[in-house]
Amino acid sequence: MNGPRDPLDAALEALPRDAQPTRDLWTGIHAEISGQPSVHAGSSGGTSPPGLPFGRVGHRWSSPATATWMRLAAGFVLIVASSLTTYVITRQAAQENVLQAQRAVEIHQPVVPVMPANFGGQQELNAEYLSARASLDAEFQRQLAMLPPVTRAKLERNLADLRRAASEISATLAEHPSHPLLQELLLSTYQSELALLGSVTNMNVPTKTTSPHETRL
Amino acid sequence: MNTSTRRTARLPIVMALLGLATIAQADPVERTVPADARGEVEIVNVAGDVQVRGWDRAEVQVHADLGDGVEKLDVQSSRGRTSINVIARNGRNSSSGSDLIVEVPRDSTLIVKTVSADQTIAAVRGAQRLQAVSGSINTQVWGQEVAIKTISGEVTVAGQKVAGRTAVNTVSGDVNLSDIAGELTLETVTGDMGVRMPTLSRARIQTTNGELRLRAALTADATLDAEAINGDLSFLLQAPVNAEFDVETFNGEIDNCFGPKPVRTREFAPGNALRFKEGNGGARVRVKTLNGGVEICR
Repeated sequence: MNGPRDPLDAALEALPRDAQPTRDLWTGIHAEISGQPSVHAGSSGGTSPPGLPFGRVGHRWSSPATATWMRLAAGFVLIVASSLTTYVITRQAAQENVLQAQRAVEIHQPVVPVMPANFGGQQELNAEYLSARASLDAEFQRQLAMLPPVTRAKLERNLADLRRAASEISATLAEHPSHPLLQELLLSTYQSELALLGSVTNMNVPTKTTSPHETRL
Repeated sequence: MNTSTRRTARLPIVMALLGLATIAQADPVERTVPADARGEVEIVNVAGDVQVRGWDRAEVQVHADLGDGVEKLDVQSSRGRTSINVIARNGRNSSSGSDLIVEVPRDSTLIVKTVSADQTIAAVRGAQRLQAVSGSINTQVWGQEVAIKTISGEVTVAGQKVAGRTAVNTVSGDVNLSDIAGELTLETVTGDMGVRMPTLSRARIQTTNGELRLRAALTADATLDAEAINGDLSFLLQAPVNAEFDVETFNGEIDNCFGPKPVRTREFAPGNALRFKEGNGGARVRVKTLNGGVEICR
């Protein structure tokens, strides 16, 4: 393309091809490699000890003994710092575990829902029974939280089985309201449910933290 | 690194090793106290095994391997009552259990309460009240009253064919009772039951999810009541059988080796029933199931 020249291109072409440093850098580089002190041409002055970068002013250890003590002190500080770090991390982890356990206890809710009890949908069980059942269930849930997890799981599973059985029998009884066998078995299942709810409370077994004279769960 | 620095660096390692050694150590303890020949012995242990043996001496001897987290073994005896308690430090969980071997006068009344511990009892001829939250119970009985309660764990009772009263209540776990005699109350929510009774005078058996296999000789006026929600019930009765039978199932077959056939209870609903008399009918057998078959044979 032979159009008019771009003024920006012209300005770029006018720039110098290379630039000279304001001072001789090689002297300093050579001195650093060979371990010799150097005088910076064009700098404001000052010397750098061997091993220190240009322009920084360092301190030389006054004696070998002082240097040894300083290294030991540095090592000690390192040990203390790493120990503190380990302690803080471990403590935080332990606190987190405690908090998790507390949260687990706090949020432990009845996993096995208390189903509405009735006799085949025909006859609601009386308020006194329902109240006693709710009270037993609350106590059961409280005691349950203190048991070993495996035992707790088994109890919950068995309670769920009982309640499912009661629910199924009640539903069947709704279809066959005058079936005496169903009535008898439903009554018996409700009794078994109450017995299970009461079993943990009535066991009077020790926990790991109770005194010998306090043997309730 | 100079000598003092090395010592400083080793200190945490040494302390850690000492801590591990303390944890791993079980503390053996032995205690002996005088006891009545027919006194009461109570044992409480939170975790670990408990073995109890009856012996001829009028004293109680305890051999204990105490786990970590245990404050002390407390053994006290007064006025015919001996108590053995493994006391844990407050607020501390024991990562290892304490194992106890306890020798007691043979005719002692025995009470054992454990959590996460197996119980093994041998040669104790007095009454027994055994409770385990989690753990198996294995005992021998000689006709005295026995009450066993477990939440989770198998129960094994070996009798000596001497009539007595046995009550077993489990939430979860199989039950095996052999050569017990007299009266039986057996309740489980989940677990299979095997029962052998050379003489049965009275029994009530109840299960929600479990199978029963009962071998028994009924006394002349025996009563046997069994009930299952889900599970098959099998009765093998030793001749001569003189009993009235009343068997009913909602969903389940009835298999009767004595002859009479079951009948449907309702035209438009499930259910089978079997009622008959064998011999002079002095004893009474009553069986009810929801979902489970019933087998009656001799």
